[in-house]
Order: sequence, then C-alpha cells, then structure tokens
Amino acid sequence: MSEAVRFEGVTKRFGSAAAVKDLNLTVQSGEFFSLLGPSGCGKTTTLRMVAGFEQPTEGQVYLDGDPVATVPPYKRNVNTVFQSYALFEHLDIVGNVAFGLKRRKVAAEEIKTRVAEALELVRLTGRETAKPGELSGGQRQRVALARALVNRPAVLLLDEPLGALDLKLRKEMQVELKAIQREVGITFLYVTHDQEEALAMSDRIAVMNGGVVEQCGSPEEVYEHPVRTFVAGFIGISNLMEGTIEGDGVRLVGGARCTADVPADCGDGTEVHLSVRPEKIWLDEHEAGMVLLEGTVAARVYVGTTTQVIIELSPGAQIVALEQNTHRSHAENRWEIGERVTLGWRPEHSLVLR
Amino acid sequence: MRWLRVYVGVFFVFLFAPILLVVVFSFNSQRSLQNFEGVSLQWYRAFLENESLRGSLIASLEIAFVTMVVGTVLGTLLAFGLVRARSRWSGSANVLMLVPLVTPEIVAGVSAFLLFTQVGMRLSLVTITLAHITFSISYVTVVVRARLAALNPEVEQAAMDLGATRLDTLRLVVLPALWPAVVAAGLLVFALSFDDFVLSYFTTGESPQPLPVRIWSAIRFGVTPTINAIGTLMLAISALAIVLAIALPRLLGRRESGIGVLLGREGA
Repeated sequence: MSEAVRFEGVTKRFGSAAAVKDLNLTVQSGEFFSLLGPSGCGKTTTLRMVAGFEQPTEGQVYLDGDPVATVPPYKRNVNTVFQSYALFEHLDIVGNVAFGLKRRKVAAEEIKTRVAEALELVRLTGRETAKPGELSGGQRQRVALARALVNRPAVLLLDEPLGALDLKLRKEMQVELKAIQREVGITFLYVTHDQEEALAMSDRIAVMNGGVVEQCGSPEEVYEHPVRTFVAGFIGISNLMEGTIEGDGVRLVGGARCTADVPADCGDGTEVHLSVRPEKIWLDEHEAGMVLLEGTVAARVYVGTTTQVIIELSPGAQIVALEQNTHRSHAENRWEIGERVTLGWRPEHSLVLR
Repeated sequence: MRWLRVYVGVFFVFLFAPILLVVVFSFNSQRSLQNFEGVSLQWYRAFLENESLRGSLIASLEIAFVTMVVGTVLGTLLAFGLVRARSRWSGSANVLMLVPLVTPEIVAGVSAFLLFTQVGMRLSLVTITLAHITFSISYVTVVVRARLAALNPEVEQAAMDLGATRLDTLRLVVLPALWPAVVAAGLLVFALSFDDFVLSYFTTGESPQPLPVRIWSAIRFGVTPTINAIGTLMLAISALAIVLAIALPRLLGRRESGIGVLLGREGA
C-alpha cells in the first residue's frame, strides 16, 4: 500500500492558540480513515490543511508523497464534501456535479457519461434538472458527494457530512457511504465527532483531543484497547475507576482489588484509572478466574435491546453494566433497586489507563 | 382590530390621493386644475413637442443611466472590499460608508457645488452625474454588502476545491448568487437619480437641466397641466424601475425578488 496523505510535524496556530500540535500521521491509499474528536479538537483544521484552505504554521503536508505547501486548493487532487454541502444553488444537479470536470476541461461527451455514472452511484438518476433548493437534506448530501467523487480525486475529504441529517437517514447513509467507498476505492478522510459513525465505517480512526492525536488504530483497537483515559471515555461508555497499582492489579479507591495487565512502566503506587466496558460485565453469573466485586443496584435503564444496570460499589463509586435482553432473560423483574449483586469480568477486560 | 384597518385605509388615501390627482388631471382636456372635463392627451403632446422639455427628459434619463451603471459597478466593488478585506480599519470604513446616506442632501448639494467651483469645473450634466454617482455608491454598497455577507463562505471554497481559480469562482459562483442584489440596487439607484432634485439643483448647468429642476423653474410661472403630464411620466418611469427590480430575478428563474433583497429578506 502506498501513502495518500502524510502529516509531518504539522502545527497550526490561529493567533497564539494552537489548533493542531505537532501532528504526525499517515493515511494509506484506499483507506477509510476517520478523524474523531469533540468540537475544537483540531480535526476540521487538519482536513482543511489537506484541502489547502489552511496553511500549516509549521511542518509539512504530503499528498501522494509530494509536499503541497505551495499548491493552491484548485490545483490539489483532492475534493471536499462540506458540512453545509455548499451546493451551487443557481445551477441544477447536473451543473453542480459537472462543475469540477468543466474546470478541468474534460471533453463534453466524457463529462456527460461521468456525471450520469456519479448520479447513479448516489441514486439520483432522474433528478438531473432539479435545483438544489428542491431536494431533501439527504438528496442534497448525495449531490455534494457526487460532485466531489465525479472528479476521481486521490483523496476525498468529508467534513461531518452526515451531521445535518436525522438519525435514521444518518444510519442509512453510513452504510451507503461505506459501500460507495469500497466500490470506488478512493481514500476517504472523514471528520466526525460521532464515535458510532467512526466505528461503523472506518478502517482506521485517529482520536483527537486538544490538537493532538490521542490514539490511532482500527475501530476494534481504539474501542477494546484504548491507551488513554480520554479515548476510553470518548468512545463508547466506559467505567472509569480511580485506583493505585498494587502488584499485578489495581487497588480501587473503594478498597476492592482487581487483577489487570499492568503496563511495564507503572510501578506500585502509581495513580491510574481502571476502565471496564459495560458489556464485559457479568451480573450474578461468573467463571473461574474472574475479577469479582460486590455492589448494590442503584438504578435500571431499559433501552430496548439492552438494560443498563447502574451498580453502586461504595458511596459515590458507580459502575454501569449492560445486560442483553435476549430470549434467556426477562427484562422486567430483574435487578431490583437495592438488591445486592456480584459483578464480574475477565481480567483481560480490565484496562489500566493513565 | 377594526381601527387598525381604518387607519391603514386612511394612510393609503393620504398617500395616494395627491398622486392620483396629478395623474388624473394630466389627462384633462381643459386647462382647469379643479374640474375634470374630459379625457385628452394634449398635455402629453404639449410636453413632447416642447424641445427644451424633451431635452430635459433625455438629460434626466442619461444622468440616471450613467449613475446606475457606474454607481453599481463602483458600489459592488466597494462592497467586496468591505466584506473581504479584514483589516483593523474595516470597522470604521463600514460606518464611514453610511455617511452619505444620512448627510442632509442640502449639505451634500452645497458641498458638491463648492467643490466643483473650487476646482474650476463648469457646471453641466457631467457635474450632476458625478454628484449622483457619489451618493448612489453608498446605496449599492449597503444592498450588495448585505447579500455578500450572507453568502456561505463554504460555497466559494467548494468552487476552488473543484478546480476553479479565484476569477472563475467570482464569475461562476459569487456573481450569480449576487446579481439579484446588484440588479435591484442598480434600478433603485436609477429611480433615485431620476427624480433627485436637491443635489441636481446645486450642480446643474444652464441647459439642458434635468427634469425635476426644469419643473421647479417652470412652476414659478404657474402650474400648468403640462407639469401634471411630466409628473405622471416621471412616476411611470420610476415605477417601471422598481417593477423591473422585482420582476427581473423572477423572470430569470430565481425564487427571490429584487425587492426582497432590498428589504434584506433572504431568498430560498
């Protein structure tokens, strides 16, 4: 695999505030790569530096191996799907989609075929002469996608493209986007603050916070093996418990001791967070060798396919367990509030974070 | 709410009655300004047969046309400058630009007169046009700037992203989005220039004089029905400019009207 985008020591400052700090990242070609983080984490600035709308204060951005500092946006072989879609309201759908090809002086016949192909790809055949104002939000989003994809860029940049859609449509478009990416084989650099979206679509995710990449890896890696407290907290629900290292485990603030894989650089007494995913916790059913804790059911939240059981370990220390409402169990009448329960998880699901 | 309706009705009567009177009496077959005797076009004929009056009409149209073209171009450029150039002076520039709109016209007229005589320019149609362009730039800038500021900056970035140079972007994306505002502003300025009196009065030369100034001189020798005919014609020309401002964008497939742009209402 060759590299599509590479950031080398990229820092971007606006005035005295740094939006991106010393970013080093390589996106392989053909990859669906997501920049995930809360608003203000620098993910959009990073994307805009690839598009050419922002210039790095320090460092260098490479596209296809070439530095692009002096290349203006209109000469870069990348295209952007904007958050606001930014459609040309005075042009019809064909006019919008053909815009890039016309600027590149592609022959009229070829423009016609490629526009038709792109519209078919995003399932908008038949709406050629409509104006953007006549389309629904989902359709406008797909025009924006076709308008960018039709140019066959080396990298497609997507800035929260599903942010303005309602939940159901967003889920549908996630599946569709991923399918389109697989079909066209173009590198997607995708910016989102929605962890679920990033997990569902990406080959790799860079989790950003405060202008730095906290962790970069496959969805499974960043979810199952977060290396920092921020990542564990931002992606999915995490039970983060404070404690100190003690031998081959962690002594929690409440007094209980949990076995865990202790990183080599954490000596006894180091203050750490212990993280356990709610779905890894077993209630009242255990295997040999499990970490076991006692607690009281404090609350129960029924959410359809699962029930969240909130358990108080000691005053102020709560832990969330996710119980599947499968055929084996009855959602109602289980885990009465105030009931004493034993909860357990496999030691490999204890994550020690600093 | 009955009162409100009555109030609105009375308001419109007071607004339109005097104008209606002028229009009706311009078609009077008699000289009387009290009794309407019968329909005739004789006062219009009298107006158009009077070479000096006809010259004034043409002069007014010429002034308004040149003002519209030059004022719209300069005003649009100024709007770009004010919206795009982000410097520490842009705040003050934005306020200063409004000064011509609130300057009493008599002050503008006197100062224009003084300036032209100081630099030794002979008062003529040229001086009137220059004075008109000066105030019209502000009007155009206010209207176009509002539109420009409302433009989503991502749309321009999208054009550049798709391979359009800065000039392409201006030509293919910005101007098409802007032109209802530009057209509306241009026609507004045409109407304002066409019926301007105070500024024209101070900057006019001997002959030909613009129509409003000409009417003013004529009235000193008594109101004739010809004045009514001229007034009606001027009204028609001004109204036409406004109607065009509303209709042009619509006729060309836009869902917003020029008047909406003038009033600051956003199109879909």
